[in-house]
Amino acid sequence: MQGSAFDDLASRVPIRFWIAIAVLFVGLVVGLLVRWATRKLLHAMGVPGAIEGTTFDRTARSFGTSTVGILANLAGYFVLGVALSVAFAVTDIAYVQRLLDALASFIPQLFLAVLVLIIGVVLGDKVELFVAERFRGVKLPQISVVPTLAKYSVFYLTALIALGQVDVATGALLILLAAYVFALVFLGGIAFHQLLASGAAGTYLLLRQPYTIGDEIRVGETRGIVQEMDLFVTHVESDDEEFVLPNSKVFSDGFVRIRS
Amino acid sequence: MATLSECLGELVRDVDGLFLFSPSGSYYERFADADVDQLVVVAAENSVGAETFVELPLQFDDVEDRVRFGIEGSMDRNLVEDGDVLACAAAIFDDDPDSLVRVRVNEAMRSGLYGLFMHSRADPGVVRDVVEVAIELGKKGQKGKPVGALFVVGDAGKVMNKSRPLSYNPFEKSHVHVGDPIVNVMLKEFSRLDGAFVVSDQGKIVSAYRYLEPSAEGVDIPKGLGARHMAGGAITRDTNAIAIVLSESDGMVRAFKGGNLVLELDPEEH
Repeated sequence: MQGSAFDDLASRVPIRFWIAIAVLFVGLVVGLLVRWATRKLLHAMGVPGAIEGTTFDRTARSFGTSTVGILANLAGYFVLGVALSVAFAVTDIAYVQRLLDALASFIPQLFLAVLVLIIGVVLGDKVELFVAERFRGVKLPQISVVPTLAKYSVFYLTALIALGQVDVATGALLILLAAYVFALVFLGGIAFHQLLASGAAGTYLLLRQPYTIGDEIRVGETRGIVQEMDLFVTHVESDDEEFVLPNSKVFSDGFVRIRS
Repeated sequence: MATLSECLGELVRDVDGLFLFSPSGSYYERFADADVDQLVVVAAENSVGAETFVELPLQFDDVEDRVRFGIEGSMDRNLVEDGDVLACAAAIFDDDPDSLVRVRVNEAMRSGLYGLFMHSRADPGVVRDVVEVAIELGKKGQKGKPVGALFVVGDAGKVMNKSRPLSYNPFEKSHVHVGDPIVNVMLKEFSRLDGAFVVSDQGKIVSAYRYLEPSAEGVDIPKGLGARHMAGGAITRDTNAIAIVLSESDGMVRAFKGGNLVLELDPEEH
């Protein structure tokens, strides 16, 4: 009797339900596999070490998980979500189908948006740490603005990309970004043009060394012995006076090497 | 009968200042409110957040050098003056201060040791790096044999004009600075060359193989030191450079400034 009841059930349930369940099951297994593989891959790439200490990772850890865990879970859920939608498509239930059509295009985007957000937040934190590390030797309180600025620039870009993924109108934000980049490039160019010019000239001077430490040279009105030369400036000393000449001046005025 | 604590009390009676050499955080905390006019921390870096702090560029193994450096640095900044009596807590065996020294400050203590590092033309970091390279070289020698070396640091333009090349300059058109990781190996190889290394104010190695030609008038260095020391001492009198010499015969590292010997270190003890 047991067997016939089962047969009865099997004959009443359409075959595509079984397929749907099988798909779901496969999806579950593949999802778990993907989660495991992602975790392995991220560990192999040294991601946990690279992002250690960022705010995001610390927050994640305070919730008992980690960035790698979150990313791996996300990948697993994505596969599971795909399996779920395929299963529903197979069962061919009309109202679910309509819902799915709407979701099918949206879920991958949402997934990407979340992924971009996580990567962006971690990257932003990392950039802040990196810049702060570079400026650690500079004992200037105001310098702490720079790492923060770098962090929020990355956050802003990230938010823009993530919002773009889910089709939110970002026109105004884009214009703001353009204005920001323009200001950075334009004002930075104005502010640093002396340094850039000196640096470019300094590259040549250091590579070719037309004069070197110990040579007596004359640049414009300044005459003396070269004491030091680096990328940006040349120190020329005469009679206890040390002139610090920007390399761009050495280049624009030309220099005279005095042979003794 | 005097007790032990009286013995210690004798040492710290009426001191004007307390000098702590490389104290740990907790050690500093305990003495932060000590009843003295001056509390000075002398260490490689101000990790305890002390108000008055003298930077120690080199961990002098000789406690006398360490104390001398700390006092000179404090005199330089008018923290202490001639006649002050100081108690110095320094570490000889352990990491935490384990000994107490009572010293009376006098002007004769200005040996120029502090000035050698802090008031030379070259950056303090460069002087320290060169001394460390010399110590390293003295310790290992070249292929087990003792080597000698002469570094002239700072005022490189003038030094170059008071010297002539013995051969081609291996550092020509190179941009090597003392303190770069490769330099130790490089200098060890080049130390077999005769002549002096010339290092600029910011640590760039300008030349090797230089024959120094200073006028040696009025140079007062101890008798018995060789030509290398004489040349090194003399060039510091003629220019604003300092000279750091590794002796080939007795293996000592000596530093000259203004024609005078200001520092003598045994590399084996570092």
